[in-house]
Amino acid sequence: MTVRPWWQTAACVAAAGMTLAACGGNGDSAADSGVADGEYEPSGTISLLAQKHPWTAAIEPYIPEFEEETGITVEVQTFAEEQARDRHLTQLQSGSTDFDVFMSLKSREGQMYADAGFYEPLDPWLEDTEATPDDWDRDDFKQAPWEGEAFNGEQLGLPIIVEGPVVFYRKDLFEEHGIERPKSQDELIDAAAAIEDATQDSVTGVTIRGLAPALPYTFGPFFHGTGLEWLDDDGAPNFDEPEAVEAIERYVALARDHGPEGVLNYSFTQSSQLFAQGHAGMSVESSNEISSVIDPEDSTVAEDVGVMPTPPGPGGQHPTVLQWGISMSPYSENQDAAWEFMKWATSPEMQLQLAMDGIASPRASTWESEEFQETLDRPALTEWAEALDVIQTDGHPEVAPPGENQPEIRQIIGDGVGQVIAGNMDAAEAAQQIQSELETVLG
Amino acid sequence: MITMTGPAGIALLALILFPVVYAIVLSTVEWTPAQGFGEFTGFSNLQRMVEDAQFWDSLRITLTLYVSLLVCQTCIGLYLGQLLDRQIRARQFVQAFLLLPSMIAPVAISLLWLLLYNPQFGLANYLLNLVGLSGLPWLGDPSTVLMSIAIVDIWQWSPFMGLLMFAGMRALPKEPFEAAIMDGASPRQTFFRVTLPLLKPIIFVAILIRSVDLLRFFDTIYVLTQGGPLDASLTLNIYAYRRGFQYFDMSYAATLMLTLLLLVIVIAGLITFLRRRYADAA
Repeated sequence: MTVRPWWQTAACVAAAGMTLAACGGNGDSAADSGVADGEYEPSGTISLLAQKHPWTAAIEPYIPEFEEETGITVEVQTFAEEQARDRHLTQLQSGSTDFDVFMSLKSREGQMYADAGFYEPLDPWLEDTEATPDDWDRDDFKQAPWEGEAFNGEQLGLPIIVEGPVVFYRKDLFEEHGIERPKSQDELIDAAAAIEDATQDSVTGVTIRGLAPALPYTFGPFFHGTGLEWLDDDGAPNFDEPEAVEAIERYVALARDHGPEGVLNYSFTQSSQLFAQGHAGMSVESSNEISSVIDPEDSTVAEDVGVMPTPPGPGGQHPTVLQWGISMSPYSENQDAAWEFMKWATSPEMQLQLAMDGIASPRASTWESEEFQETLDRPALTEWAEALDVIQTDGHPEVAPPGENQPEIRQIIGDGVGQVIAGNMDAAEAAQQIQSELETVLG
Repeated sequence: MITMTGPAGIALLALILFPVVYAIVLSTVEWTPAQGFGEFTGFSNLQRMVEDAQFWDSLRITLTLYVSLLVCQTCIGLYLGQLLDRQIRARQFVQAFLLLPSMIAPVAISLLWLLLYNPQFGLANYLLNLVGLSGLPWLGDPSTVLMSIAIVDIWQWSPFMGLLMFAGMRALPKEPFEAAIMDGASPRQTFFRVTLPLLKPIIFVAILIRSVDLLRFFDTIYVLTQGGPLDASLTLNIYAYRRGFQYFDMSYAATLMLTLLLLVIVIAGLITFLRRRYADAA
């Protein structure tokens, strides 16, 4: 198992920055799949390029079981999120056979990679009964995450985890000071203010994302909560609607008026740390953060955590929902073995096992399983499961306006809202700026 | 002759010329993840850059950091060199100690400072509160972020400058100093009238070394802020990284990096010119 520390990659990238030498031409698709020849023969060694992520941490201990069962050796390369992305982009661009399976966030790079042919279509394996027996049960996957892994009419990945923003809150503070559980986004702001009043500002009301590229994920529920979609029927951005200004105002009321100092640098790490140390009354963060806030080793408030879905706005409750997936490299020289691994990692049994380790499963059967229900032995976990149910039922699958250049689109929204948080603009000016910049990028 | 220089020449070509030529080509074509090199677009990226407000902003940030850091580090370096040059006890120990910050990887140092700067739990605000001052947002606010980054770099590189200056001071001839003492010059006069002029060559070398590093400033900022908040610490290097590796806008990133390369060459050339003009003559 070769794991290169991420800073080495960062250093290489820095060095390569001068030259961008890593972006060579494209090779042709390396191998015809065994399945296409009518023979399914998984064996040998494969390499998984993974993000440092709860899913990776959860599945790694089980990989030796897979290796023993199948005789396939799995090498895992783990990198921090951004570094893993740099790596798969440069490697896929140069047609490298360095990895066979990789984790990919389809809501971010999916459309671009699909258009570039960086995902091997999985349909040949899915349709082959030898490669994919019926008991793998593809219909068991919930619709949103399954379809989130499909582009241009082809299945390009398999979902491994679903997530969405939820509100973690301090039950003890709410009870002690008689604060009601908020039922709307305006009440969420009131609750944040009440916490600060009750604790004489010793506890921050709420922590929420301010870091520009990360912000749209938690801003989405506020935007969609006004009843707006990112784009109108003609595909133009909707930031010129008065509701968009209201959404920004609500978000900023939380982040600026009742948020932590330095909120413009806040993403999940900072928010969870602040909340777990007892310095914030609420945290609007990804459902994935459950383990870091209820684990007594990391959290001083582990026993006092409550979880609720992000409350509805005037236009309804639309939390963001997204899935992570694993995909196959078109340049893999061992695609059958890669499929064998992907199938195993997403099988009903494995998803159940991972769910019991805190990974929100994209399979319906997991949530219905009694074995899983029994692991929800703490109120916080039960509430977490309920919140995820809301996310999967009413969730909005677009983190930001759809478009090939997701990173830039998200940065534009994050920068605009951030300008209001920093006090450089009012919400109307920011909405106008976001609108005009999005129009340019979306063309 | 050719057999002697041949291998070196080939290495030079492979390491320097090829990447630069590659970047120049990249900057003049359309590039997409799927196709790689595409249509020739000529100088359109250059035109785009000139019209890009973010480019000018990042250039301003790069130069602001460069000038302020260079001045601070040179002054502190001179001061530290002076201190070392006096007969102090345990000099070897102090020397080794001063070398430490520049030996640690910038990423490790940045992670350390990330903790120190944490507005809620960090040591920096704790110390400020201890002396009765209110805490600062440090990296979390556009108005304080450059200062915070500068402190990290000054902390890391001033001691190194001090050692360079010290080495230079040790190599100076003794006579002018003896003459200065005979003439009754004060230590202050001696420093400005004797030490500094004699030290000019070494100061220029030190400035040259730091200049190249400071203009390419990347790792510390990448770990501390990634250019934020609100792009307040977005140097040219970080901006090019964002364009290239996050927005998949490789051709434009290559244009930005070539501009940075040009900037480094011009400034290094200028320093070399000034050194020849003012230091070698002395």
